[in-house]
Amino acid sequence: MIDTSAARLAVRPPTSTARQWWVLTVRVITPTLRNGEVVTLVAASIMFTAGFYIPLKHIVGAFIEGTGSYAQYLMPLIALNGIAFAALSAAFRSATDSVQGINRRFKAMPIPSLIPLASRMSASMYRCSMALAVALICGHVIGFRFYGGVAHTVGFCLVALLIGAALSLLGDLIGVATENPEATVPLMLLPVMIFGQLSVGLQPAERFPEWIQSFVRDQPISQFVYTLRALAGDSTAATGEVTWSVIGPAMAWLAGLILIVIPLHRLVASRRR
Amino acid sequence: MSRHSKAVIVDQIRKSFGSVVALRDISFEVAHGEVLGLLGPNGAGKTTTVDILSTLTRPDGGRAAVAGYDVLTDPAGVRRSIMLTGQQVALDDLLTARENLVMFGRLQGLKKSDARSRAKELLDQFDLADAADRSVSTYSGGMRRRIDIACGLVVRPEVVFLDEPTTGLDPRSRQSIWNLVSDFKEAGIGTVLTTQYLEEADALSDRIIVIDHGMVIARGTADELKERAGATYCEIVPLHLEDLAATAVALGSLLPQENRAALTPASDRIAMPAPDGPNTLVQALSQLGAANIELRDIALRRPSLDEVFLALTSDNTGQISARRVEAELLS
Repeated sequence: MIDTSAARLAVRPPTSTARQWWVLTVRVITPTLRNGEVVTLVAASIMFTAGFYIPLKHIVGAFIEGTGSYAQYLMPLIALNGIAFAALSAAFRSATDSVQGINRRFKAMPIPSLIPLASRMSASMYRCSMALAVALICGHVIGFRFYGGVAHTVGFCLVALLIGAALSLLGDLIGVATENPEATVPLMLLPVMIFGQLSVGLQPAERFPEWIQSFVRDQPISQFVYTLRALAGDSTAATGEVTWSVIGPAMAWLAGLILIVIPLHRLVASRRR
Repeated sequence: MSRHSKAVIVDQIRKSFGSVVALRDISFEVAHGEVLGLLGPNGAGKTTTVDILSTLTRPDGGRAAVAGYDVLTDPAGVRRSIMLTGQQVALDDLLTARENLVMFGRLQGLKKSDARSRAKELLDQFDLADAADRSVSTYSGGMRRRIDIACGLVVRPEVVFLDEPTTGLDPRSRQSIWNLVSDFKEAGIGTVLTTQYLEEADALSDRIIVIDHGMVIARGTADELKERAGATYCEIVPLHLEDLAATAVALGSLLPQENRAALTPASDRIAMPAPDGPNTLVQALSQLGAANIELRDIALRRPSLDEVFLALTSDNTGQISARRVEAELLS
């Protein structure tokens, strides 16, 4: 039976926005350390690496001219896959929060309205960083190396994480909007798979049928791959220089994605039952 | 914090969702340490009222203040002063009970050490210490509801909103929630309790507001509402059923003609008005005693809140409930 003193409590202390952000971030991270999410993330990266590299190394690798190794060619897509997978977890998590009603509860508490989203995003960045680290380790094992010096290496990681942030923001939006954890997986996974396969991540655009080549070349995943490949560098001069004409389109896609998703977040947040 | 004259003031609030009118000019007040029961069927507007008072929804018109803060102009003040538990338990299912409590404590501004000791206190008080380090997804419905409420009590609320807190709970869990509501009263906290259970409103509320179709259709204490639905009556059951006619004769002028006419061969008891309460009962007993009629039972009865509720909502039930059923079938 409940003790009768349950309702006699101390007066409320003032709240701290920074602490609320941190507490809500840790809230999402804590369970990942024990519910197998970290293991899944590592396993997924290993799976992507092995699944692409082993069967395609001889088939596609032989056709790619000038590049030092197929591992060098494949690395950007492995990293992007890992990050997309992390963003998918973000979508699943935000949908679960919405459906469990905890977001509603936060709204009735003295928490600034942006804090729950901000903390979910920082937790996503934790996931993306981990996914990137695991992907880089996998890449290293199959022979990938950074050739571009420290600045380009840092640039590679920052661009990858920025892509992770944009995809997490999109995933979070899908989660909050659908309020259906099960629906987020196909909604996220399908586009990632289609864009991933129809990109220059696995093979050059010229290897696709002619009618689809321009799509393959211009779609965002390919542009991300071009950028990451240039930043990673190569033992040969095949990957091209890091110039605005190479990284510009990727940056434009990212800016566009973020600029579209943020107002939609605001719209969904103001939606009333 | 200064004390405000009322814990909750609701003045003519209105709310529509598209073409559906959810609330029409609802007004009520709740004093500190008072429990107000918001009673009504599904879809009556109870949750919308609670949502407006907890700043989750903006009213279209009217004014509402909670703990002295206007819900429209000072929602932050309201959020600092309330505790809300919705119909659905709102916890982080991936965390343990203790982790949930510490998280809510820190979100409410407690330091880590204070949040931890407060969590421990609440776990003990809510009889959850044994399960403290289990994920709340493994909890039973009653335990989940308890930890849900405990998470709202990490700091002291001025006003508590309980939206159907005992729906789906077993009797023991329900009783412990009821005890808690009494604690709120003692602590001077104003409580708004929505419920579909008349028994619950009767047991816990100082005053009851009955709403239906977004309108207040009755208000008062449980006793006043029962009074409205009908006066006290006296029920008489003879020991031998064949004495029923003789009983009716013996009651003489105490039994009005209409009640006498209502008796049929299938009747097993006599119900008659008791305008003088216990005096009517005593008089009936002496007349029956004089006629040598043995009784199985005689008692003063008052209508239950269920009867009150049905009486209050019966004016328009026919038409509207048919329409509601139709709407539910279509949706």
